[in-house]
Amino acid sequence: MTTSLSSLICSLVPAARVNAVLRQDLTAQCQDILSSHIGQSHEVDFNQVVDAIKRKLLRNAPGGTDVLKFTNLLARLLKQHILSRKPEVLSFLTSVAFQEDPSLNPSSLFTRPPSPRRALKSKPATQVKQEPTSRQDTSTGRSKAQILREHRQSKSLHYAPEELLLRDSIYILQGITGKYIQFSSSDEDDDRIVFLEDQVTRYTVSPSTKALVHRLAELGYLYRRVDNFIRERETASGIGMIEQSLCHHLQSQLKEYYRLIAVLETQALSSIPQTGLERSNDNLASETGVSLKRLDVWLNDWRLRMRMMSVCVEGAREAQGGALVNLIHSYTDNGDPFVRNFTHQLLEEVSCPFFATLHKWLFSGDLYDPYGEFFVAVDTTLGPTQVAHPSSLSGGINEISADGGFGAQGGDPDDFAGPPQQGGKLWENKYQLREAMLPNFVGKSSGTKARILSTGKSLNFIRYSCHDSEWVVTREKMSSFRGTLKYSDVNGLEKSIDSAYRLASHRLFEVFIEKFKLLDHLSALKHYLFLGHGDFADQLMDALGPSLAKPANALYRHNLTATLETAIRSSNAQHDTPDVLRRLDARMLEYSHGEIGWDVFTLEYKVDAPIDTVLDALAMEGYLKLFRHLWQMKRVEKTLDRSWSRVISGARTFIRVPELEHEWHKIRISISEMIHFIRQVEAYCRLEVIECSWKVLIDFLNKKEGDLDSIIGAHRTYLDRVVKKIFLWNMKLGKEEVVHNMMKDAFAIVLMYREAMENFYNHCLSEAARRDQAADEQRGVFTGKYEPSASEDVAQTLTTRLHQYGQNFSDKVQSIVQHLQVHPDLDCRFLAIRLSFSDYYKSRKEARS
Amino acid sequence: MPRELVNLQIGQCGNQMGSVFWQRLCAEHGINQEGILEEWATEGGDRKDVFFYQADDEHYIPRAILVDLEPRVINNILASPYANLYNPENIFVSKDGGGAGNNWAQGYSAGEHIYEDIMEMIDREAEGSDSLEGFMVMHSIAGGTGSGLGSFLLERLNDKFPKKLIQTYSVFPNAQEGDVVVQPYNSLLALKRLVNHADSVVVLDNGALARISADRLHVQTASFDQTNQLAATVIAASTQTLRYPGYMNNDLVGIVASLIPTPRCHFLMTSYTPFTSDQIDKAKSIRRTTVLDVMRRLLQPKNRMVLTSPSKTACYISILNIIQGDVDPTDVHQSLLRIRERQLANFIPWGPASIQVALTKRSPYVTSNHRVSGLMLANHTSVASLFKRMLDQYDRLRRRNAFLEQYKKEKMFENSLDEFDDARATCDELLKEYKACESPDYISFGGPEGEQS
Repeated sequence: MTTSLSSLICSLVPAARVNAVLRQDLTAQCQDILSSHIGQSHEVDFNQVVDAIKRKLLRNAPGGTDVLKFTNLLARLLKQHILSRKPEVLSFLTSVAFQEDPSLNPSSLFTRPPSPRRALKSKPATQVKQEPTSRQDTSTGRSKAQILREHRQSKSLHYAPEELLLRDSIYILQGITGKYIQFSSSDEDDDRIVFLEDQVTRYTVSPSTKALVHRLAELGYLYRRVDNFIRERETASGIGMIEQSLCHHLQSQLKEYYRLIAVLETQALSSIPQTGLERSNDNLASETGVSLKRLDVWLNDWRLRMRMMSVCVEGAREAQGGALVNLIHSYTDNGDPFVRNFTHQLLEEVSCPFFATLHKWLFSGDLYDPYGEFFVAVDTTLGPTQVAHPSSLSGGINEISADGGFGAQGGDPDDFAGPPQQGGKLWENKYQLREAMLPNFVGKSSGTKARILSTGKSLNFIRYSCHDSEWVVTREKMSSFRGTLKYSDVNGLEKSIDSAYRLASHRLFEVFIEKFKLLDHLSALKHYLFLGHGDFADQLMDALGPSLAKPANALYRHNLTATLETAIRSSNAQHDTPDVLRRLDARMLEYSHGEIGWDVFTLEYKVDAPIDTVLDALAMEGYLKLFRHLWQMKRVEKTLDRSWSRVISGARTFIRVPELEHEWHKIRISISEMIHFIRQVEAYCRLEVIECSWKVLIDFLNKKEGDLDSIIGAHRTYLDRVVKKIFLWNMKLGKEEVVHNMMKDAFAIVLMYREAMENFYNHCLSEAARRDQAADEQRGVFTGKYEPSASEDVAQTLTTRLHQYGQNFSDKVQSIVQHLQVHPDLDCRFLAIRLSFSDYYKSRKEARS
Repeated sequence: MPRELVNLQIGQCGNQMGSVFWQRLCAEHGINQEGILEEWATEGGDRKDVFFYQADDEHYIPRAILVDLEPRVINNILASPYANLYNPENIFVSKDGGGAGNNWAQGYSAGEHIYEDIMEMIDREAEGSDSLEGFMVMHSIAGGTGSGLGSFLLERLNDKFPKKLIQTYSVFPNAQEGDVVVQPYNSLLALKRLVNHADSVVVLDNGALARISADRLHVQTASFDQTNQLAATVIAASTQTLRYPGYMNNDLVGIVASLIPTPRCHFLMTSYTPFTSDQIDKAKSIRRTTVLDVMRRLLQPKNRMVLTSPSKTACYISILNIIQGDVDPTDVHQSLLRIRERQLANFIPWGPASIQVALTKRSPYVTSNHRVSGLMLANHTSVASLFKRMLDQYDRLRRRNAFLEQYKKEKMFENSLDEFDDARATCDELLKEYKACESPDYISFGGPEGEQS
């Protein structure tokens, strides 16, 4: 069985297939379940029941006729096929039939005795405890009532008259100690009522009455708690607004309660003279008056209400603000319509301040939340924070115009006060969601809360960080649908949130794109740091090239900026807006000993608030890193272009050393391979990476959907994608930069090759000069001292080095291609296709292997 | 510091082509017939200073030097609405005005006499440039002036500006029907100079031009104007990346360096699609212009501006596609994949090669019915078949020693016809090199005999 069990487990619980311990545990558990008797109902033994009945019948009527009759009936019963549960039927009938008989305990015949019904659904933890003394009476219940009465009389014990108890009960209901019934005075259990009987009053109270009074007393107890809470809150300071409104609602509820008590009291009083003290206990039910039982019935409604209130009070001790609202809201799902209605009513009231805050937040971006009850928290250390004046809170938007922060020109000097903040940090951290304070009815869908947060954030940002002068327009649009937000209209709320969100984020989009020209900055970054303005980059490189070859410490910043200026003026960059060009800067990075200008030069694009919300420091770092890589690529490309000019035109026109001509041919082929490589890598970076990513970004921005967060997100995705693909990052751990480093190696080889080629070129020049001299000498013209040189050797070493570099380069590219072919990123894999478009590296590999 | 190009248009054909080219450039840059920037031409993004310079009075003046030995074509230009565009100092018409009589030797020797005048113009333009990148020469190699004088000037330019690039747009004669009987002689002699003294030659085959225009325009014989428009479109498109700078290929050396790996194999073929009525009068329309369509059509031999008879081993040494217009970068990516999958292009076996794609802006001032248009500059070994044909024609004439009297009149051929043989040898070598290019052993081409095996 174990094996079949374990196979079953394996098929049902996939995790168990690998986890042996889990499988064993599960098997053992299943065996336990199978061997236990859970679910097996206790079978009523039919014969046993029949025997028992027969025995009883015999005992009652020894004649045996009854037994005979029973047997007959039993036979007929057995013939009835419709009845399926005959033993149960029998045992039930038996228990009914012999109920009077004390000798037979009918409950033994029931397989499952019915559990006593519980009248109370949820008992508050502080239940009224029964006094042990009351037990005594029930235990004596067995004795004859007559005896009991006599006994009582002998002890001169009387039942306390109901009128007195009634009066005391009404006191108790108001939390006041009565004459016969009192709240326990001891400290540790003040939630206990004490019946004063025996000695003082000589009255006793019957247990049933006691139970009744206990039930009533619960109300009184709860009342005391609620009342205490309200009083406490009235005097204390720093009570949250939600709690205040809770108190307010409770107070009004209590008012109702008082009214009821008053009515009851008058009723009770009026019933006393009618009945009189001497009325017998047996005649409890008076036709019109108030009795304890009636009281109980009338107050039933209130008991539940009180309990709810008490729960709220209890909750308010632990939670506050949104969390409290949440707590209350959790009762709206209760099945009891009474509880539901009550909570709805309560919520309507309690959520008032919440909605006021929400309204202000949604439609004007102000957070008025002095007690930290709202589900958006502000970090006051960041940026300008305006605490809205409470007076503007109640009315919503119209009154807001009195607020200085709305000055159309951003005229409030406070707006500009304080040091400039980093936009990104400001936007990200100034307002945060406090999940605990989020009412369930608002955040039903996960999008809603984010939208609320974003709406307020956007408005706040527009007003205080962007100093948007056209804010007024937005405000008017907003006010066109400023319905009052309230709890009972949750659907309307969603709608308001949606439209507010749309308006606010749309406006923010507009502000960013139109006022702050986000797009201009993004394309400037693309044009300058990604070298999209190729002519500008060419000019800059031409002008800077010579000085960048010098050691880093020989570079001067003013030279760099001057060169940058020249490059801008001599390229199409001059047509860019001054605002963009102003931000462009050339500088050196930190350099260490031995580094040359190429290593440390960088372009920089400066952004300020609020654009730096999108282009934060991290993003700029990414841009710089990319710039340096692309710049390096450009450098290699330009170097190769110059080399090409050298080997193509230079070699053709004036190198006349025929035996080296073939070497030049090889150099040309190597160079063309390098050119092909660098061109393809550059084209890949430009087309597959930058342009494709850019397109996605622009498509997103053109849609004008989403809020600032989504702009930031979209930009981040754009940049990440560019970084990842240009650096050819492999996601595999430990292999992230393998290809990137190979790429750098390849670049380095190109630069070395170029150096070696220059040497070879110079050698050829001097060799040519030497031969000219030799020729001159032969012709008898002396043009200088003839220097026989060991040119063969020199040429040999030079060409060997060139071959070596060329070979290294080919090998490097080939392994780059191989790495890229299995690269997890499809675009990176495409670079392999680009590099080996004609399958050159594939066939080369085959040829070598 | 723009990388200026000085444009030399020599002879009848060169000047006709040139004048259409400049008209087109003016249109693309929003410059009117007087050389003044139109008021609406504010969109920028272009660089006019590569081909124009600004005079003191805000006139844009082409860096063009117009040379002809007979006045007819240049007079036409001067009578056209664009007469005031050119700098009159840059126009040279031979005083005797007799032309070169379709004789290479005559054109060449005329060069000796007028060298000073022309060089003065060139020098002036070169000095007026901040950083002269090179020269563009437009001519035909069939006649006398473009061919002969052109050859002479190529030699001199190369000699005087050894570090400047020389790119020629050379119209090769129609192989089937030449209007000049000695055109095989002329072309071969000019070809030698193109091989030795130009850095890159964009081959415009008159036969192919005529066929394409006939094909596109549905006319039996295309007019000169129409073929000139065709050629001008190609020339303008090939300079598009210089005039509308982008990420790469912003200078001539960049373009040429990636196309020409070895100095002699520098004869580039072009394809252009789609030709529309914007560029040529009465062109028939083409339906779709997706990037893939454009790139695929560019590779089709029938769209090439050179009539070749490619052998099985013929292959591309390099390709540069210049795509203009509104292009989705992902389309380019897809197209490259597709082309590779279908193996629409064969490449050299001795080195890596692929299709380079340069995306450029289209002129905002010229409307086009097509979203995308493309030009292919390709270095393809089948161009050798054109030279082979020229060689055969030459051999046929030469065997008969026909029509040599006119040549012998000139100093160069007074004593011997060695020059002919030399030119033939050069052409033959070129053929061999192109042939070698098709084999993996190209790397040892020209090396010691032992290595070549």
